[in-house]
Amino acid sequence: MALKTLEIIKKRLEERPKEIEKARREGQKVVGWQGYNIPEEIIYALGLIPVRIGVGGDDRMVEIGARYISTKNCVFVRETVGLFAENNDPYVQNTDILAFDATCLQTYRTAEIIQYYFNKEVLILGVPRNFYWPEAKVYFTKEVEYFTRRLEKQAGKKLNYQILADTIGLYDRIRNAIVTIYTYQAAAGNYLSWEETYDLIHAGYYLDRREYLSLLEQVLAELREKQGQPFIEAVEGEARIFLSGSVLPPGDKKLIKIIQEVGGRIVGDDLWSGLIPYLDVKIPENSLQGLAVGYLNRTPHGALPYLDLDTDRRIKRLKELIQTFKAQGVIYHTLRYCDPYTFKAKETKDILQKEGIPLLEIHTEYAGSDFEAIRTRVEAFVEMLKNRYDEEVAV
Amino acid sequence: MANVSAFAGVDVGSLGTKTVILVDGEIAGYSILRTGINTEENGLHGLETALENAGLKREDLKYIVATGYGRISAPYADKTVTEITCHAKGAHYLHPQTRTIIDMGGQDCKAIRLDEDGNVTDFAMNDKCAAGTGRFLEVMANVFKVSLDELGPLSLRATEVLPVSSTCTVFAESETVSLLARGERPENIIIGIHHAIANRVGGMFSRVGIESDVFFSGGVAKNIGMRKALEDVLKVKIVEPKKDPQLVGAIGAAVIAQNSWKRGR
Repeated sequence: MALKTLEIIKKRLEERPKEIEKARREGQKVVGWQGYNIPEEIIYALGLIPVRIGVGGDDRMVEIGARYISTKNCVFVRETVGLFAENNDPYVQNTDILAFDATCLQTYRTAEIIQYYFNKEVLILGVPRNFYWPEAKVYFTKEVEYFTRRLEKQAGKKLNYQILADTIGLYDRIRNAIVTIYTYQAAAGNYLSWEETYDLIHAGYYLDRREYLSLLEQVLAELREKQGQPFIEAVEGEARIFLSGSVLPPGDKKLIKIIQEVGGRIVGDDLWSGLIPYLDVKIPENSLQGLAVGYLNRTPHGALPYLDLDTDRRIKRLKELIQTFKAQGVIYHTLRYCDPYTFKAKETKDILQKEGIPLLEIHTEYAGSDFEAIRTRVEAFVEMLKNRYDEEVAV
Repeated sequence: MANVSAFAGVDVGSLGTKTVILVDGEIAGYSILRTGINTEENGLHGLETALENAGLKREDLKYIVATGYGRISAPYADKTVTEITCHAKGAHYLHPQTRTIIDMGGQDCKAIRLDEDGNVTDFAMNDKCAAGTGRFLEVMANVFKVSLDELGPLSLRATEVLPVSSTCTVFAESETVSLLARGERPENIIIGIHHAIANRVGGMFSRVGIESDVFFSGGVAKNIGMRKALEDVLKVKIVEPKKDPQLVGAIGAAVIAQNSWKRGR
């Protein structure tokens, strides 16, 4: 089933750390960033190398991180701190500057810890708590401008707006390609699984963005040739699952593996480590304000408060995506101490229940001790979906 | 017995292995054994014992469904199904008006909602800790130097409910020791423990809701004190089970075995 381009991407990912090391030796600077609202276009347009840092799924690294950051922070940020404490990750080793946005306050805290303990230069991008107010645009624009000035200092040059326009165009094409690939993975007779698509997104955290676009387009060409026009439909006997909730960073495969092992098929997600950052990005003009507005108009991150459930863009988008991908149920993943998503689980469940969409919350961390308990829940959920939607396999 | 069509449900739990044999939709035999370290052998031994009790042979079995945590090591089974689905089917078999199940087993606790056909519509399980499980009560029985079966009746002799603040097994054990050292009556502490568990279970029902009739299944359901505490805390009436509530998962598995065989799968 694997596409040829996936093999090329795998190889390129293996080679990438050495390339970045070489680029640094030749004077280029690397910006390691984490968050949801960093306009990466600015970093790239300034000739800096953007790398999204942070991995998950390693309990040992979480424990190392917990020597520096409170154990009441989520395991993802604890592992991020652990990466810096151990300093073995090639991307962490090759980061000159760090950029974090203040969307999730735990991420913000991570930035403070890394600066304090590991003496790294950290830039923080302020984020409004309420994306819906006009004042939010003013505030975020100012923040993006200030962020750009600090990046310019690192790059040793001013932002060229023609290059920025080209970069926005490049990123738009990346976003469009990812959205189209998602349609292929959810379709009947798919040649690419959701997991492979998800890995493809994570490849874009590290590879040069021009090369990344070219690889995405190769994937699409292969899919068009093999699969033709994608048609999304629920096939008899399937339990089509939509993933929502807390971050599932590269390396955190526990839940994904369990869902697949018990016969569930993941068909979509609205994870901030998945599809959602690439959706609904319309940069209205080639300016820093244009970028700020474009980012504000995306589906907001879960760390920002609900203001009005009936008009919340996250809920609206979640419902639309469930429909688009013909999902039959939602597995809502919450990481221990990831309060923003954990607090919203019940409301989300209640809202979806009214639409007849069942939701299973899986609350977990990176230790393997709950593997069997999670398996039982997910398996029962898959049985429930199959029973609901396919009388033939009713137990 | 000639031309018999028998179906088996084997529920290998963390503390007990339960097996039920169904013939013509009726329970023909069953067994309840202590789970040992070899999961597969436990299931097979339970199956043989239940068959013997039913006066049947292995070849009389048309279909076997395994459930419980040991279902992953059940090569003797034709199919495996989670205990959540099995408890729903089992409770529906015993009491078709069941809409909510409280299942307390050896190592976990579940709140299950079901429809009029015994299909699961929603469920929640306790997270990680042992509170509200058979194992927790075993630890507590050990503190009071009584058998597990004595805990429930003892709690009914309480004159007041002493609050036990923690439901973490380790901390609850040390809290209980402190209360005993303070000279508190054991019965009042025991009822406090039961209420602490019931309060915790109440949290799960805030996630899935509760609707009558309410059925209490699993090994802990044999504990009369736990049943009373749940009724008091959740303000519900729990139905009287017609069979041993510890068998509900195995009954459900046997019902599924029968249905699967009829459907040819």
